[in-house]
Amino acid sequence: MVSARFDGSFAGWRQAARELLQQGVTADQVTWYSHDGDTDLFAAGTPCATPHLATTAIRVPRQLLNLLESAARYRCADRWSLLYRVLWRVSHGDRSAMLAGDADGSELHKRLKAVRREAHHLHAFLRFQPCHVENGPDFVAWHEPAHDILHSASGHFAERMGQHSWLIATPQDGVYWDGQRLQHQQHCPQEWQQLAQAPGDEGQQLWLAYYGSTFNPARLNRSVLENNMPVRFWKNLPEGPLIPQLMSQARAGAQRDGQAQAVAQRSGKIIRYRNDSEQTPSGSVGPGLPR
Amino acid sequence: MQLIDKLTVLADAAKYDVSCASSGAPKRSSKGKSGLGATNGMGICHSFTPDGRCVALLKILLTNFCLYDCQYCVNRRSSDVPRARFTPVEVVTLTLDFYRRNCISGLFLSSGIIRSADYTMEQLIRVAKLLREEHQFRGYIHLKTIPDADPLLIPEAGRYADRLSVNIELPTESSLIRLAPEKQVGTIKQAMHSIHQGESEARAEKGAPRFAPAGQSTQMIVGADDTDDSTILHTAQSLYGAYRLRRVYYSAFSPIPHSPKTVPFEAPPLLREHRLYQADFLLRGYGFQAGELLSGPGNLALDIDPKLAWALANREHFPVDLNRAEPSLIARVPGIGVLSAKRLVALRRHKRIRFEDVSRLRCALEKAKPFIVTQDYRPLQAGNESQVLRQQLSETPAQMVLW
Repeated sequence: MVSARFDGSFAGWRQAARELLQQGVTADQVTWYSHDGDTDLFAAGTPCATPHLATTAIRVPRQLLNLLESAARYRCADRWSLLYRVLWRVSHGDRSAMLAGDADGSELHKRLKAVRREAHHLHAFLRFQPCHVENGPDFVAWHEPAHDILHSASGHFAERMGQHSWLIATPQDGVYWDGQRLQHQQHCPQEWQQLAQAPGDEGQQLWLAYYGSTFNPARLNRSVLENNMPVRFWKNLPEGPLIPQLMSQARAGAQRDGQAQAVAQRSGKIIRYRNDSEQTPSGSVGPGLPR
Repeated sequence: MQLIDKLTVLADAAKYDVSCASSGAPKRSSKGKSGLGATNGMGICHSFTPDGRCVALLKILLTNFCLYDCQYCVNRRSSDVPRARFTPVEVVTLTLDFYRRNCISGLFLSSGIIRSADYTMEQLIRVAKLLREEHQFRGYIHLKTIPDADPLLIPEAGRYADRLSVNIELPTESSLIRLAPEKQVGTIKQAMHSIHQGESEARAEKGAPRFAPAGQSTQMIVGADDTDDSTILHTAQSLYGAYRLRRVYYSAFSPIPHSPKTVPFEAPPLLREHRLYQADFLLRGYGFQAGELLSGPGNLALDIDPKLAWALANREHFPVDLNRAEPSLIARVPGIGVLSAKRLVALRRHKRIRFEDVSRLRCALEKAKPFIVTQDYRPLQAGNESQVLRQQLSETPAQMVLW
């Protein structure tokens, strides 16, 4: 067996994997040990196999490296060994290892899909709120992604937010956009986490009012909601606590029509239909329309 | 009235329009620039409501005052609902605030008809113009076009909006006459035509000013009248053909408070709506024709999906040999989608497809099994009659009768 130790980054793995490939170490001979940024790089030494340098360069399709880099963001115990197995097979001429119909390829594509989906979740279910701390960013957000997608996926917000500065903190890492550059911290600083976890501001009330009214209680459909917006995100969404409340209201009322209760309770107004004078819309109407 | 109260009323009034897409816009970015917003072609659903529908855009009415008396509509003039009206600046403020919070990807603005169709349309355009020109907003804007408004207003709307839409609401002229007395099929189609023309002109001329780059869509209400699915799908197909619509949305009629006697007072036919969306998807993505899915009058089956129904009715095309068949025919196998069909074709360049490979692609195997042949698998003849398969594959198995 060979113990491959590296710094936990894709670049580090790639370097180690290249050396192992050149030594002809097969996938089932390697155990991968990653240490992230804090620990001493390669402290425990290099692979213990006898070094024997291959003279021929290893050739794999460029596309494979992109796939492997994306799949490396998937958090799981055997994160790196699958990548090496696929790399080994492709570099030995078996390109089907990259395809979704293959035994290894299907696992690779499952991870790629999960990583893409998690990046999409970041774009969708992250909520910024204004930050009023002096010299702080304009907006802050707290998010809990299931995979290591923060760094690669957060450029999206630089496109959206114009000249605003912002900060996203997670339990693991964090990013800070100062208006020009994205700074990524492998371990999210304490003060970033504190800024990002500030309690919700007044402005959220408008959003909650909108969310409550745009729901049609006559169409309650919990399973579709949970498939599309996994429950694990609810606790960090301002509308999260509102969801069970809206659902139980809809059930209790066994509502047959779609109107929100908050609207139904108000007094209504029928528009009088008149053919004569020009009127303003504030409480009255204009000229009759041709039938 | 406070802003929050207006929002409560005008979001409630707008939710019966089911269109929600924020996709199809060209790539725009505000990175390092003044202003706000980006689009990248992909839609983003920022939240989902307990009815399972997504929130991609701030969907509101400018006002729910309305001169029209469409019987299916909660905002009809004879309806006893609370009324409210936003100022254009209020809509702009809300849009920008929600956008910065990352709650939405843009605005979907519609309105009741006030004063006149032209006046109403001008007000909608004013909001879009404020967002684009004063605030340099680069997010998504969808404007609902008022069909009776002056066609000259459409080019202006198309300059600011990513998507324009006109709701046809009912699939036949007779239903429109009965339930939406102020609306006319003629003006609705005229508006769709003007939008289509604007799109074509902008595409034809290099450097022409942009015009609704995400195209146009429409909505049909299902279950407010007695039109069948066949008529609905054929209407949709002709709209796709005539005006190059990007999407037809189907909205199961939602009973409304103090419902008039002309419309039903029943729970919304959500499953019927779902089958129509599935059938519509087959029209847009799989090259099916409406006549293949429903050859005569009638409705789509509720117990099985339309692709399975087609396959059971056309057994002569099956089983399909996954190692030989055209990709388009593989995509017609129930349980195998366009993406899986592509992946199977890519894989068979390297090896013979085996049953195990299909299972790894996470196709709906139970559905696909009777319709495919692989290197190591061929469906049994016995017990494969369409009638038997339908019973096995039905999503709502018939209850056994107890004696």
